[in-house]
Amino acid sequence: MAPAQSHPSSPLAASDEADLVARLRAGDERAFEALVDRHYGMMLAVARGYVRTRSVAEEVVQEAWLGVLNGIDRFEGRSSLKTWIMRIVANIAMSRGEREARSLPFSAFASEQDEPVVDPERFRDETDGFPGHWRAYPGNWASLPDEALLGRETLDVVMRAIEELPMPQRVVITMRDVAGCSAEEVCGTLDVSDGNQRVLLHRARSQVRNALERHLDG
Amino acid sequence: MVESVDHLSCQEVVELVTEYLEKSLPAEDAALFEQHLNFCDGCVWYVDQLRTTVDMLGKVREADLSPDAKERLMGAFRDWKRS
Repeated sequence: MAPAQSHPSSPLAASDEADLVARLRAGDERAFEALVDRHYGMMLAVARGYVRTRSVAEEVVQEAWLGVLNGIDRFEGRSSLKTWIMRIVANIAMSRGEREARSLPFSAFASEQDEPVVDPERFRDETDGFPGHWRAYPGNWASLPDEALLGRETLDVVMRAIEELPMPQRVVITMRDVAGCSAEEVCGTLDVSDGNQRVLLHRARSQVRNALERHLDG
Repeated sequence: MVESVDHLSCQEVVELVTEYLEKSLPAEDAALFEQHLNFCDGCVWYVDQLRTTVDMLGKVREADLSPDAKERLMGAFRDWKRS
């Protein structure tokens, strides 16, 4: 069973990591089990960013573990073990994922996205005294009753909004905000610049906010 | 990134909010961003909405590793060890 840690996937100290890698190479089953408990959830989340169903994501993760075992002798520690594992997951998930996922590098998606994230109609235009300012303020969600934000229905809105995102945005937001990866881990896993991952994260978070706004204020 | 010199519009704020929350705005732009919030409840609420959105995303959880899936993994490990 997975240990009840608050941050099961937080980075290991370098010496602990080297120790774990050595034990794994030596075929230590408990080292493997510790690694599975530690990273399985995040691996599944990363896979879910690419593929549509939980069962396919589980297959991807199973296959990724075989990749980890077969490749562990060649792991050189140039990235953290965690980032190395996540790259294996991402590569397998990409080959199982949608066609568009395989044809273009992530950076190609980030650069073409300068469309505004909030409908321009929400802001005053040039003929107005305060161009670029809100016509009507967005809602103050702090004044909503607790159950509006905590309800199952609202969580479903968030999950649907994630599913509707284009693939690269979905992968980035799933890694950052659902699985709790750092920006550095996302960049290392997906081979994107910090700027690109931030653009993708920005667009993805903004779209999820838009969906929540339609649900909560609509 | 920031076009106007002395102030930001709300429309600019909504495009900068992620850079602000990620603490990757240059100091001058971060100061302009905060100055704007001092005078604009609409943007304070917008930034709060984004924070709430991130909190909600953190509540989405994949179900835990099932005992079956784990057993398959441990089996794969034993096979690997024997090979």
